[in-house]
Amino acid sequence: MSPNESSEQSRLLRGAHRTLTGLHPALESLLAALVGLLVGAILMYIYGFDPWKAYMGLVKGAFGGSYEIASSLARATPLILTALTFSICLRAGMFNIGAEGQMYMGGIASVVVACFALPTGLHQIAGLLFAAFAGAVWSLVPAFLKLTRGVHEVISTIMFNWIARWLALYLAIYVIVDPMRPEKTLSIPMSARFPVLVRGTDLSYTIFVAIAFALVIYFILWHTAIGYEVRAAGLNPTAARYGGIRNKRTMFLSFVLGGVAAGLAGATIVMGLPPTYAIYGGGGLPQLMNLGFDGMAVAMVGRNHPIGILAAAVFFGGLNAGGRVMQFYGSNPVPLEMVRVVMGAIVLVMSIPELIRLFPMIKKQGGRLIERLRRITRRTERGESA
Amino acid sequence: MSEQSALSRDRFFLKADRITKIYSDGTVALKEASLEVRPYEIVGLLGENGAGKTTLTKILSGLLPPTRGRVISPKGPIRFSSPREALDFGIGMVHQHFALVGTFTAAENVALSHDRPFTRVRIAETQQALESLMEESGLRVPLDVPIEKLAVGEQQRVEILKVLSRDVELLILDEPTSVLTPLEVDELFELLRRLREEGKSIILITHKLKEVGSVTDRVVVLRHGEMVGDVKTSEASTEQLASLMVGQALEEEADAVELSTEEIPHKRERKPIDRSGDGVLHVRDLVVNGNTGEIAVDGVSFDVYAGEIFGIAGVEGNGQSELVESLTGLRVPISGTATIHGANILGIDPRQIYRLGVAHIPEDRWELGLVLPFTLAENAILGVHRWEEFRGPLTFLRWGKINRHVRELMDRFDIQATGPNAPARSLSGGNQQKLIVGRELAKDPAIIVASQPTRGLDIGAAHYIRKTLLDMRDKGCAILLVSADLDEVLAHADRVGIMYEGRFMDVCTPDELDRKRVGMLMGGAKSKEGE
Amino acid sequence: MSFQDILSLLRISLHAMVPLALTAVGEIVGETAGLFNIGLEGILLLSAFGGALAAEFGGPVVGLLVGMGVGGLVSLVFAVINTYWKGTQMVTGIGINLFAMGFVAFGLIQLGAPGFHDVPKAVELTKLRTPMGLMSPMILIALILPFVIYWFLKRTRAGLMLKAAGEMPEAADVAGININAIRILAAVSGGILAGLGGAYMSVAWLGVVTKQLSAGRGFIALACVVFSGLNPLLALLGAFIFGFFQALAEWVKTLPSKPIPGEFVSMLPYIITLLVVSGAIGRVRFPKALGEPYKRE
Repeated sequence: MSPNESSEQSRLLRGAHRTLTGLHPALESLLAALVGLLVGAILMYIYGFDPWKAYMGLVKGAFGGSYEIASSLARATPLILTALTFSICLRAGMFNIGAEGQMYMGGIASVVVACFALPTGLHQIAGLLFAAFAGAVWSLVPAFLKLTRGVHEVISTIMFNWIARWLALYLAIYVIVDPMRPEKTLSIPMSARFPVLVRGTDLSYTIFVAIAFALVIYFILWHTAIGYEVRAAGLNPTAARYGGIRNKRTMFLSFVLGGVAAGLAGATIVMGLPPTYAIYGGGGLPQLMNLGFDGMAVAMVGRNHPIGILAAAVFFGGLNAGGRVMQFYGSNPVPLEMVRVVMGAIVLVMSIPELIRLFPMIKKQGGRLIERLRRITRRTERGESA
Repeated sequence: MSEQSALSRDRFFLKADRITKIYSDGTVALKEASLEVRPYEIVGLLGENGAGKTTLTKILSGLLPPTRGRVISPKGPIRFSSPREALDFGIGMVHQHFALVGTFTAAENVALSHDRPFTRVRIAETQQALESLMEESGLRVPLDVPIEKLAVGEQQRVEILKVLSRDVELLILDEPTSVLTPLEVDELFELLRRLREEGKSIILITHKLKEVGSVTDRVVVLRHGEMVGDVKTSEASTEQLASLMVGQALEEEADAVELSTEEIPHKRERKPIDRSGDGVLHVRDLVVNGNTGEIAVDGVSFDVYAGEIFGIAGVEGNGQSELVESLTGLRVPISGTATIHGANILGIDPRQIYRLGVAHIPEDRWELGLVLPFTLAENAILGVHRWEEFRGPLTFLRWGKINRHVRELMDRFDIQATGPNAPARSLSGGNQQKLIVGRELAKDPAIIVASQPTRGLDIGAAHYIRKTLLDMRDKGCAILLVSADLDEVLAHADRVGIMYEGRFMDVCTPDELDRKRVGMLMGGAKSKEGE
Repeated sequence: MSFQDILSLLRISLHAMVPLALTAVGEIVGETAGLFNIGLEGILLLSAFGGALAAEFGGPVVGLLVGMGVGGLVSLVFAVINTYWKGTQMVTGIGINLFAMGFVAFGLIQLGAPGFHDVPKAVELTKLRTPMGLMSPMILIALILPFVIYWFLKRTRAGLMLKAAGEMPEAADVAGININAIRILAAVSGGILAGLGGAYMSVAWLGVVTKQLSAGRGFIALACVVFSGLNPLLALLGAFIFGFFQALAEWVKTLPSKPIPGEFVSMLPYIITLLVVSGAIGRVRFPKALGEPYKRE
């Protein structure tokens, strides 16, 4: 083998090696997703459904056509943001379960802003800002309680979820209610709405807001000193202190950012979801409900990385959109609630660390493959230098 | 419950037979160590940090399995798969970090290790039993106060009572006197002597020569995981023990490894050191508290001048860590002063201290020096991530520059890794340490505080790090070298302070010290002149 | 507000207290040993559903027993994942909640009516006639059990073992206790109690299974646990207080003139929990090893 060929080969092999080890977390997510779908399939079978048909319906409904894809993306939009809430704080070493409540407050805030008259463009920005602010404020109190009184953030954020729910319900039913249709709040005016991206669907430009925010978070966390400090403090607070990082400040910051994300999630529903562009009060805020918890599932499958979250949100959004179609598909359709079963199973599986280790064969094969690659890489390199 | 009550003075209770222990990360903690434990005898287990004393006793008491070798009882080889089994056999251990539940009272802690889960805990009975035990042993503790509210000495007494209440035949104590006042130490030794008269075997782990002399019948010395001595206490002098503990001189080792003249520190070319005025680092009367409120650094004063290495020797746990922490912004001292070129470094942020020209190679590279999941590049800027050269506007990080910087470091310090984006945990210990050293040196510091810089490294990496420090010294940097490795300190330092219980026993040049005297000072014994 | 009103408030409060008390006390057992199960909500839903189904086949008592079994089983899965497999407790709990929400909703559709399912009157646990009206005998159990658990934790060696496993597993290990086994036992016991609480809701109290049946009770129970500082008696008190506020909120909604909106009354239990946890009212202390998997050396 000529020197040029062997160096080319070793470079390729090194690239393959790096990709394999880098993909490892993504593989785990994929594995969990497959197990979750398997659990769903088993349940469907037990109840007498045809899992294959159901999943076909699911896939068709999620990605079968441009309408379907748009629908999936629309479902994904708020999930991106609530997932970011959980992930940002987890990167800082904290469990922020409060996306639900922070999102409610954000949604309410954007309805309130709509009550003021502002020119288009400015109105939307104002809506987003207010929602972000409301979400941030709502997550600030648990952060404050944690830092000053050591209150465990899981408890405080859960409590705030419930307080937010009741507060939002009250405001939606009594204060900002639509006098002509009391089951919902006032609809925001045209100037505040985000235009629809694909005609005939419910996908609006808010998806860009979500994607942009995810990218912003990515940049902050990996390309700024502040984000670096957040990540360091979350991974090793002792070493962070050694590095001169003030851990309290970074934790505080992560909570604020998380609250902003959740607040924006509420805004995307209010300002970006046709046809009502309002919040329904009856039945406990049905459009917003559970988006916070679903966001946590998205975050975990997305390995708490903004890019992974984007992918996972599309997956979960697809599950949701596809589920709606699946429930009408075929002669014996599966109700869409099955989707949540699958989601829960996926999260359960993801809670087991090093999932791959439970499948020793997979690991051994994978490890052997990597070892073989490594050896070949070394051999060709040696062949180069000879 | 114990099966050994009818032993005569000649039989043995337990034997460790050529025990080897290799931890999962490759560290060899014990190498074919053997130990015989006899009744009516107090054995002192002597050695420096990392010698393997705690590991050996953990194997004897059932906490760890040996990698090779066996534990033998008079009835044949036995294997303990849990501390409970060892306890049932008659072996009880009093740990250095007490195995007590803080919110329980003494009585509840003792009740924990007795049988039968679903019965009513008879606290009253346990208390009565404990009362009589306290009478016998002379150890008094309040029985109904939660452990966490007791003083450390009292907590230790509870730990001992807990073990005694199980009627053990072998009692192992791991550095028990480090948390006791001299009076409490005397009381403890009285108790140990009484227990010995009753026929029990006792293993006393310590690094303090004085203790060995005052209470043990026999001394076993461990060094680097190997048994290097097993003598009757009455037949050994403190000097002998000290030299057994610290071993050969570096020169002899160096000859064995065939180093060039350049690399043997003493034989290097030296510039004269200017010691007029205050040092780069100037410390006066520093008093620092430890984690449990006791005084760890008890009024220490010293200067470190440019172009010199000031070494702090001594067994770990005598205040060195707290001293280093207080000088690097990780602990706030109680009183005293410390300045770098006149600027105060006490009680301020580590980042500010780094800006004053201090580099810190920390003693625990995993806990303190690195964020293991981070890449090399991310670790290379830890502590300097806000410096202008790496940071753009709005605190944006200049990864291009950072990566170039890391590659330079990798070249200069020969750090073996797949690239700047390799996770730090994939590096070997030596390469991790080189990364930290490279990072700290890149600060172009006025003083380097190096704490246990070569701990856990292989010979090659260790030599490399030491050479680097010497190079920096020759360039005019001041170096504070804290190390429990005596050879290292004696071979590299220009002046040595030997630390014991928070104070400098002595500060002198290596020539003024011979190994035996140092070993004695480290063990707290005063030199013949000073006594 | 008439005397009748007060009595009926009391009656409803006691009924509402039952699932909270049972779940909270069960979680106390688990948390004492070091396991933090956020999936209580899911357990309540699943056991309510399973219990109702079983009751239709075998009567109310069978329903309650099956509910207990469901709760125990789910907790077993949770416990194994988080002891032997060193999982992340928070994530497992969230997974359980999601799964349960989907499963129960799905299962309800299978039974006919989407969203709810009436439990036939015939298989409901009979209520007893008392001066206060019809009351479920489960209330008695809910009142007595916390005392039993309190005694158990404080006075038996098993209770000591649990506390040691949660507070300082290293000490418990040295004393010969199998940390993983004891944590699993504790979690399963807690799950059985929560399962009883869930089955109670469908079989012995509300007589219906909806996909929203638990309505956050799992999280309220967690709040009770925090409020109680792991003391079962205080948890009982907390459960009663929360039940009272739930009853009060319902009652306020029925008033012709609304002095305070029902929503604000509903908020009160959570605000109070926050205050308690923040140390404004008493100081709460948790086992040091709570939430951490135990690794020996």
